[in-house]
Amino acid sequence: MKGALQLVHVVAVVMAASMFTSVFAQQSETAPGWRRDEGPVHIAGQAVVHAQDIPYVEACAREGLNASECAGRLIWFKATAGNDRFHTYVFQQRVGVMIDWFRVLRSDQRGDRFAAWGAINDPSCCTPGSLGCPARSLDETYGLDWCPGDEELLSYVGRKGYRDPACDFRDAPLVEGDPHGPQDQRQSACDLKFGTSTGALGIRKFPNPRFDRARWIEVNGRSGSWEGYGRRIAAAGGEHEPAKSRLWDGSIEPPFLIGTSCGSCHIAFDPENPPDDPARPRWENIVGLIGNQYTRISEVMVSGMPSNTLEWQMFAHARPGTSDTSAIPNDQVNNPGTINALINIARRPVFAGESVRKWRKAQSCDGQSAEACWCEPGRDGKCWSKGLQDETVHHILKGGEDSIGALEAIQRVYFNIGSCSEQCWVNHLTDLRVVDPQQRGFGQTPFDIGQCRRDCPNFRAIEDRLQNILDFFLSAEAHASDLRVARENDLKSFDPRAEYTETDFIEDLESEFGDGAVARGAKVFAAQCARCHSSQPEATAGQTTGIDFHRIDEASGLRADWLGNDRPTPVSEVGTFRCRALHSNHVAGHIWEQYGSETLRAQAPDPNIAEPADGGRGYYRNISLLNLWAHAPFMHNNAIGPEICGKPANSANDFYAMRPRYVDGSNIRLLPPEQQPACMPYDPSVAGRFDLYKRSMDALLNPDLRVPKVTLLNEDVTLRVGPRLWDGTDKEKLLGFALTIPAEIDGRGVTAGTIGNFRHKAFVVDLVQAKFKSDEVEARLEQRLGPREGKKVLADLKAIVKEVRKSPNGLVEALKKRPYLVKQVYSSCFAEVENAGHRFGEDLPDADKKALTAFLATL
Amino acid sequence: MPVNRFAIALVACTLVAGCGQEEQRKKKEFEVDFPFAPYGEAHSAKPDFAAIEHDHPLSVDDLYRITPELLSLLEQEQVDQIYARLSAGPIPDGPYEGDLFFPRGISGKLRLSEIAGGGLRGLLVNVAGRKLDAIGEILWKGKVFYRDQRLLRNRIEDLRPLKRVGLVEDGGTANPLTKIEVGGRDQWLLFPARLYCGQSLLDGRRESIIIDYAFTDELPGYRRMPDVMAGRDGFAIRDEIRMVRPGFYLGRAYLDRAFVVNFVLWNDEVAKAGEAEFRRSGQVAEDCWRGTQVHRLDVAAQ
Repeated sequence: MKGALQLVHVVAVVMAASMFTSVFAQQSETAPGWRRDEGPVHIAGQAVVHAQDIPYVEACAREGLNASECAGRLIWFKATAGNDRFHTYVFQQRVGVMIDWFRVLRSDQRGDRFAAWGAINDPSCCTPGSLGCPARSLDETYGLDWCPGDEELLSYVGRKGYRDPACDFRDAPLVEGDPHGPQDQRQSACDLKFGTSTGALGIRKFPNPRFDRARWIEVNGRSGSWEGYGRRIAAAGGEHEPAKSRLWDGSIEPPFLIGTSCGSCHIAFDPENPPDDPARPRWENIVGLIGNQYTRISEVMVSGMPSNTLEWQMFAHARPGTSDTSAIPNDQVNNPGTINALINIARRPVFAGESVRKWRKAQSCDGQSAEACWCEPGRDGKCWSKGLQDETVHHILKGGEDSIGALEAIQRVYFNIGSCSEQCWVNHLTDLRVVDPQQRGFGQTPFDIGQCRRDCPNFRAIEDRLQNILDFFLSAEAHASDLRVARENDLKSFDPRAEYTETDFIEDLESEFGDGAVARGAKVFAAQCARCHSSQPEATAGQTTGIDFHRIDEASGLRADWLGNDRPTPVSEVGTFRCRALHSNHVAGHIWEQYGSETLRAQAPDPNIAEPADGGRGYYRNISLLNLWAHAPFMHNNAIGPEICGKPANSANDFYAMRPRYVDGSNIRLLPPEQQPACMPYDPSVAGRFDLYKRSMDALLNPDLRVPKVTLLNEDVTLRVGPRLWDGTDKEKLLGFALTIPAEIDGRGVTAGTIGNFRHKAFVVDLVQAKFKSDEVEARLEQRLGPREGKKVLADLKAIVKEVRKSPNGLVEALKKRPYLVKQVYSSCFAEVENAGHRFGEDLPDADKKALTAFLATL
Repeated sequence: MPVNRFAIALVACTLVAGCGQEEQRKKKEFEVDFPFAPYGEAHSAKPDFAAIEHDHPLSVDDLYRITPELLSLLEQEQVDQIYARLSAGPIPDGPYEGDLFFPRGISGKLRLSEIAGGGLRGLLVNVAGRKLDAIGEILWKGKVFYRDQRLLRNRIEDLRPLKRVGLVEDGGTANPLTKIEVGGRDQWLLFPARLYCGQSLLDGRRESIIIDYAFTDELPGYRRMPDVMAGRDGFAIRDEIRMVRPGFYLGRAYLDRAFVVNFVLWNDEVAKAGEAEFRRSGQVAEDCWRGTQVHRLDVAAQ
């Protein structure tokens, strides 16, 4: 379908692409894809294109994108909007979590990068010293890949004055009728901040003007290595305490600041045209919107942390293709979720009449207060006015939390990736170490969109171009990738004249799943699934018989049915792992409050769950099943279906091996290795995706056969709480409070979620106040838990106080005797088994299950 | 600066009826027209720093009204509101006098101990309070900045408290204790630390000057005892400072990333040398990232 729609080419884009193809043809012969950036080139007095942009321009032509869509694509792939400071300084120093960028990006392990980290190699980059690579030594590139634009960028390592390639970004024309037009008043494109590629798509680098080469060599032995920077330094307290490294030494400035674009998670292999070798993709194998199903971005983010730290245990358990986007803006709800597949967005349901308070473009602020309206200084009538109105909006994120508009949902992605962190949002985060309820950092406070617009130029640079990004979302690149087309492309790779017709496709499916399976599957789908997984009005009204789920919408040329109605379903009804539905960052008073509609927050709590579920939480929206064949395993956490793994050559990066998931459901302990079902190696080929799809469908439709999956702590975790002191009589002995969280309690495994969901601040406050404000604590507990349970908890808190006074390091023992406090009373989510629920269809006859599998493969 | 041992005096004063009246009068007088944003008790009732700076900018006059004594009288939220509206200023050079003050309203013990309710001290902070206080006093006496080397050492006048508990190691001739003379007094130099521009753990909008002891064991003159106590295997001390005005810095000290105590540093010579120009322009050389929010410092009154 997508190929048939790629007809609209923008002449200028094609011209630019063809000219550059010609200019660099000779170089491409010896080093495919590697192009020296000779600096910006002007074309016919209009376009300014860097060599590093050429593959992007070519992709726009290939996908048939217009100027706005193409601009949006480039931004999506490259713009970091200033988050290089977040990924180099803020996350490390303020949040306290180390990223070992060299471990992820070292060029000598380029071939292992996809298997280890799920990162997609930039086809334009190369390992220094490899055939045809412009850089000959790792020392030239400080150990990373050489990428187009580096001949200039590298000369600025250790000095100021680098001019970002984004400064030459060519904007698409303003939309006619834009209230901030007709003159172009957009924020400087320099503030998009592109830098150059690191060699992993979506991860960008910038020269660090503070870099001290002499000190770097002193630490690492040579400029081309970061080994000394990341090398573990054992703690004096022994092996059970987390080791450190010089990553903790903020006085050492690395050669690059590393930033990420939205593409770092969303860039993926094209299911219709996958690479022959995932470690060596070509540009035509890459698309930007369906989400990287293999990314281990969470492991990337804690790549500098030892595994026996709380941070590693909390972050590094997301399955491939998922991440916990509330791990940094932490809400103490442990909830990794998939990167959303953006497909056929033009057909995605919208909801009218929702109550939305947000900023809207205006031309003046006459008669409005400063709180409600703001005009950008130095601009002519570029104003924004805030107010409450009924709007037609999408429901975005797993629970539909981003609900004030598609543009704003895109805008918020930039905060997820760290943009404007210092100016606008780290001051609103919870500091897990602050346990004083009167101090800043005890809990979240709401991010202020108006403040960020005023104070962060990167915010304005993105905001002024959000329509381009949305246009990209609506472009042909996000159109459905059908299995039939993928199979045909597969055949054409051997024989360019090969065809694979719809008839061939159905015949193949029926030979595998039974005669008439596709037609029969359509009926099963209508009867069993369409009430949630169809966007057609008849289905929403409950009339699912006879619906043509393949019907084409004439206006868009897309399949009319988005195959999901995006309406919220209470989590107890769908029954899947509920922690994600309890995510609280859009609740009033929390960090993303301003990105949630009043309609969202007015949703009633799910009465069938015991955890806190106010503020609109407790739901999953009914997602799209478009291209299900290419997006297994299933559910918001990729947990239903086989586990997938990369099997990297460097075993230190074999994260699945560190954390197998299958447990004995009776005691939540890992099954012995011989009973662990094998993980399926990453295989983005058409056949590989289809195989994974079939196995995942089996798991989906046969819930009793699912082996329970739980993410467990894979080793004891020791937390140092508070300072320590040398004992004056025994210099080698360290005293102090160390809280060791065992990986197993009384023969039962401890889930990573137990720690991530433990509301330790509420616990500490209640524990302390149980001693001297016990009436207040009792009232609070009884209100929340009822009189009987409240009294029981208070009695236990008082008992713990006594026990801890006798044995100051006895808190773990005290809690082990009362695990319900950690796992329930002070937990934001009790759920353990991650692949439970969504049992719809389990009672179907086997033939119907097969038919459904066949039919869904056609969608 | 007339604030030596003010922290001790303040704690002592709280124990003597009537002793605090003069301090309270000074505090109220200061609060009358100093631009603080309103705030409440709960963490969620504390205003955003960006809004405070935008709506309640400081003037150079305001900065010259701030004294170490006054800071020590303020509520912690007021101290925080001042700190957030400062920029890092230049990385200092040379010796600075120092003093510390605990967040107002607490007993002088660690914040975590206080929150834990005194009787639960062992719950969170299993340390001998007396020793910790003694070490704190020693650490916060004063500092010497070696700007060019991006290093810092702490000035200790009296080693006896440390020696009494066996925390000073004799380095012999290979690593003798070093000392400097400040104001005619000999002072020992201990606890070396790195200096760099980095993240404030309170206010991310602009960088602070960081005094980091984590890798103290790699610095010239390091002496295992007592210096290790400040390092990553000890208290894991990390300070951050911002400039109130030339020659006067306000700092925050963290132990293992938990905020513990405020401190001030001053150098009268630097203060005198820089006053005229700063009063005129409100500008100083900045070594660190200043952020992108307009840093409003009103000099119109000059």
